[in-house]
Amino acid sequence: MDKTILYLAKKEVMDNIRNLWIILVTIIFTALALMVSYFGSMGQGWQNLQFTVMGLRELVKYLIPIISLMLGYATIIREVETGSMNSLLSYPIKRYEIILGKFLGLGFVLSFCIFIGFGISGIIIGLNISNADYILYLIFIFVSILLGLAFLSISMFFSSIIKSRAASMGLSIFFWFFFIILWNLIVLGVLFVFGKTQSYAIDLINPITPYFKSIDMSINSPNLGLFGLNLTVPSYYTIEIMYAILLIWIIVPIILTFLIFNKKDI
Amino acid sequence: MYSNAIEVKNLTKIYKDLKAVDDLSLEIKKGEIFGFLGPNGAGKTTTIKSILGLIYPNNGFIKINGKDVLKNVKEVKKNIGYLPEKVSFYNKLTALQNLRFYAELKNVSKDRCMPLIEEFGLGEYANKKVGQYSKGMLQKLGLARAILGEPEILFLDEPTSGLDPRGVKWIRNKIQMLNEKGTTIFISSHILSEIQAIASQVGIINRGILVAQDSVDNLSEELKIQPKLILKFDRIIVNVIADKIKESLKKIKEVNRIESSGVYLTIYCEAKKWADVIFNIKKAGFDVKNINIEKSSLEDVFMKYTEEK
Repeated sequence: MDKTILYLAKKEVMDNIRNLWIILVTIIFTALALMVSYFGSMGQGWQNLQFTVMGLRELVKYLIPIISLMLGYATIIREVETGSMNSLLSYPIKRYEIILGKFLGLGFVLSFCIFIGFGISGIIIGLNISNADYILYLIFIFVSILLGLAFLSISMFFSSIIKSRAASMGLSIFFWFFFIILWNLIVLGVLFVFGKTQSYAIDLINPITPYFKSIDMSINSPNLGLFGLNLTVPSYYTIEIMYAILLIWIIVPIILTFLIFNKKDI
Repeated sequence: MYSNAIEVKNLTKIYKDLKAVDDLSLEIKKGEIFGFLGPNGAGKTTTIKSILGLIYPNNGFIKINGKDVLKNVKEVKKNIGYLPEKVSFYNKLTALQNLRFYAELKNVSKDRCMPLIEEFGLGEYANKKVGQYSKGMLQKLGLARAILGEPEILFLDEPTSGLDPRGVKWIRNKIQMLNEKGTTIFISSHILSEIQAIASQVGIINRGILVAQDSVDNLSEELKIQPKLILKFDRIIVNVIADKIKESLKKIKEVNRIESSGVYLTIYCEAKKWADVIFNIKKAGFDVKNINIEKSSLEDVFMKYTEEK
């Protein structure tokens, strides 16, 4: 069997796993989860995993997207700029294998950080509380990974269309700022100008929305709208649709990345 | 058995409004060392990258061992080695880790990597990160990477750029050894002496156009570039003297041209008549202080083909 993709993925892992900041990120994830659980309750000690997840996702929403973007924004352009892509392409490799290998390798590194970082803290919290809802916590880790993969996929797309590392980083940061910081204002604008129906529809464009909603739905909490307003979400806001949107954000940019890279002169 | 290692037909590559390569056709037989010459920016790297499928030509087709490169990526590239103009590795990985990665991709035993690194004199740096390597070390490691898996065809883009004379000689020997084992070698350079020393065939590219492809000898012949006899006299050769010398050489038909400059006289003439030339000049009463011979060189050929028009 042709193991090219596997070899390429393995190289990405080797190239990144010893990165200091990857280790740092894992430690940050662990520390954040512990802090949210312990201090989030205003001195009442460890909270259960459900509250931990509710608090943690507010931080994850900032952190995971930017970490994922930083992991991938240079992956293709760096190799083109330094010239290692020349050698790579002179080897018996098809171009889609490079894209897929990179995505799988970087995706593994990212998933590993999230899983280990939140996993360790989950176990520590679980040991300190009774009736730990591990299933919910695993779902939280799972959707956090999906969110990370979506932003990784987007950053790889940037690294294929942009002609310099610096510009690709700029676009990644803008993308993060737009969807993470500005977004609520945009949805609020749509809500006031057009109404609820339109604002709900628009809100689904942002990968953060299905991330939040799928956790909401897993917790089975009341429908929380913008800023905690108790709004009834439309009927198409189902958990399947939420996962589907996250998957689309993972798959479509990767396919676009391939289409662009496949036609690119190196 | 297909006898052409590389076949390029009507290759054209246009960048925006610049024709980097213009309707270039080439045939390189198996076992040859093909020297690809041209001034900087003439289209050498673009041609090599097109042959390797790194860039897509606007027109033309390329065959390696009789197979279309773009359609048979895996099969064709198993038999290719490439040393890019700008050698680059994964800087955070060691030399050994880098080569092992490439060995995996080529389905070559990873046990080959360490001996290869040692063969290139980098044994003691095998476990150092490539980011710490000097230019010369990188170039050697780059060549090691290119010959990993003993490819049938080797593409070397400016293999000695930035190397010291010792490194240049080392790489040249290596190339000749590989060729003796049967490897076809496509080597691009703008350093002519380097190519003249090793190439059996040369191609000259100027502004994207292949202006010549032949052996160095045939090209010299074709251009009527003759060996030069350079004589040094004990006095400055003023016109009167030059005329007298020319007069004395009138009888030798093989003399094509005579040029004077200071105390030097350059005579373009076939080698078999050199003795006659010197004898006649002495007979006419001029004292030749020193004799120098310049064989037709690739440089003359190159200059002729790439001169600004």
